[in-house]
Amino acid sequence: MAQPVLDVTDLSVRFDTDDGDVHAVDRMSFTLDAGEVLGIVGESGCGKSVTCMALVRLLPETARIDGAALFEGRDLLAMPPRELRRVRGRSISFVFQEPMTSLNPVFTVGHQIEEVLARHLRLSRGKARERALELLELVRIPAPARRLDEYPHQLSGGMRQRVVIAMALACDPKVLVADEPTTALDVTIQAGILDLMRDIRERLGTSIILITHNLGVVADIADRVLVMYAGRKAEEAPVADLFSHPQHPYTIGLLGAVPRPYEGDEARRRLQEIPGRVPSLRELPRACAFADRCSRADELSRTEIPELREVRPAHSVACFHPGPGAV
Amino acid sequence: MSAVDTVTLTSPRARRRRLLRKRFLRRPMAVAGLVVVLAFVVTAIFAPLLAPYSAGATDFNALLAHPSAKHLLGTDSLGRDVLSRIIWGARASMQAGFFSTVLAILVAVPIGMIGGYYRGWVDTVVARVTDVLLAFPFLILAVGFAAIFGASLLNATLALGIGAVPGLIRIARGETLALREEDYIPAAIANGAGDATIIFKHILPNMTSTLIVQATVTIPTAIVGEAVLSFLGLGVQPPTPSWGTMLQDAQSYLSTAPRLAIFPGLAIVLAALAFNVLGDGLRDILDPRTTR
Repeated sequence: MAQPVLDVTDLSVRFDTDDGDVHAVDRMSFTLDAGEVLGIVGESGCGKSVTCMALVRLLPETARIDGAALFEGRDLLAMPPRELRRVRGRSISFVFQEPMTSLNPVFTVGHQIEEVLARHLRLSRGKARERALELLELVRIPAPARRLDEYPHQLSGGMRQRVVIAMALACDPKVLVADEPTTALDVTIQAGILDLMRDIRERLGTSIILITHNLGVVADIADRVLVMYAGRKAEEAPVADLFSHPQHPYTIGLLGAVPRPYEGDEARRRLQEIPGRVPSLRELPRACAFADRCSRADELSRTEIPELREVRPAHSVACFHPGPGAV
Repeated sequence: MSAVDTVTLTSPRARRRRLLRKRFLRRPMAVAGLVVVLAFVVTAIFAPLLAPYSAGATDFNALLAHPSAKHLLGTDSLGRDVLSRIIWGARASMQAGFFSTVLAILVAVPIGMIGGYYRGWVDTVVARVTDVLLAFPFLILAVGFAAIFGASLLNATLALGIGAVPGLIRIARGETLALREEDYIPAAIANGAGDATIIFKHILPNMTSTLIVQATVTIPTAIVGEAVLSFLGLGVQPPTPSWGTMLQDAQSYLSTAPRLAIFPGLAIVLAALAFNVLGDGLRDILDPRTTR
């Protein structure tokens, strides 16, 4: 098998706070292949974003990061800051959730794209402008030549997100991390952005990590899915297998909470919510983090941390009682 | 319609400029302030051409003369033309106001931004030192300055500039603290921007409007400050004219010729007021919350 683009082993992130440590991410391991779309799902605060931001150390100084993240044979977590800056935006780019505010209001869109190009590729002004125009065409912004000279406030949310994506793609990155790129947009625009991401993967071969809490988005675009719960990996599977054969009770719960129209009488059933709340990350129990909310939990679940094991091909789950069926 | 055509044909930059101009022109007080400010600046620059007499020229036939066609605002005890001296005096006021503010901004903004950007112990030091400086009376600082380096317009300007630094540090620091939390900062970091890029390209340009407004309110303070220092003999030295020294000269004649104090006094009030009104207007039009 080809070498993965990104190989993360035992990534842990703790935040030192005045009230003690917060374990945001606990021994996460995953790989990302070239041209692959990896979806990371989980509810708010489960560590999805922190995991990805830790990769290029975008976290505040209170974060303690352990583990290794190999990118092109080098450990990102041990890289000196100067070199890391050359990776950020050039080899690994981010698209954040808030398109309305992630552009600098006082510069034109073109100027901001050119800035990235000048920084990483040392392009001349004219060259950078040409490339910026090309990028706006790539992300399918209408009337790109005119947009170059417009300010962010003159663009709609969807267009701004396209500009942000254009900036992220400016230097042909190997990895694009999209952190809830569609959450702040309305549904038709969301579909457009997802189409664009698929297109980018096909045309440029960029590997994409897509962080979302929206299972629909994952089903739409991801190749492989990683379900996170309370800073740990709960389940990992190819997308079709995850949806057809979910193993972890949490995944099953998540899928049960997705509204499905057009399923006959069954569609009228009440949406199944998962009882209880996410445990506090301050005192992660020496147990399955999901045990308190799980009907399958037993003595073992409450005293041991379940390790990941492969239950189907390429499908692993961290649960003592995996398997399909109601929870 | 032609209005639509012009909008689509011009660049966004030009459009924003026109919008700002329109907003500005809708505020008569601000426009008046700008006119008066410009008048003072022009007066200061072209004093030799505008003043009917030179600043030191004495007319011994008209000592303490009342306003007349020959001396529009009268003369002082040495027969010097008051109008001419006010015109020449504008130089000292404008120089002190302008240069002390420029100096204060050049010193304060980097310090405030470094404190606000890096936070931690650097910021604590900046904030505490600023508090101490703010508590320190400015006049004593200026007196000490004059005592050590001698009384002159340059030293008064330096003292005024230093006096304005702590307040500006606070503003730059506060703005930086607020701006560094904007979403485009982590976005820029994720795109590989270093600290210098963040500070100069992402934070500084976003605080220029605040700084412009702050400058227009620092200048009048410095103008009044210059008059105070010159009045106390710590600034401009006679016979060089300054509104402050004119007030001092006028002291002895307050009962017989109060106009000697009134005219330079009015000049100070008018200049300070004009800058303040202009500053208020700029604050209004540059505030993003102002409806367009």
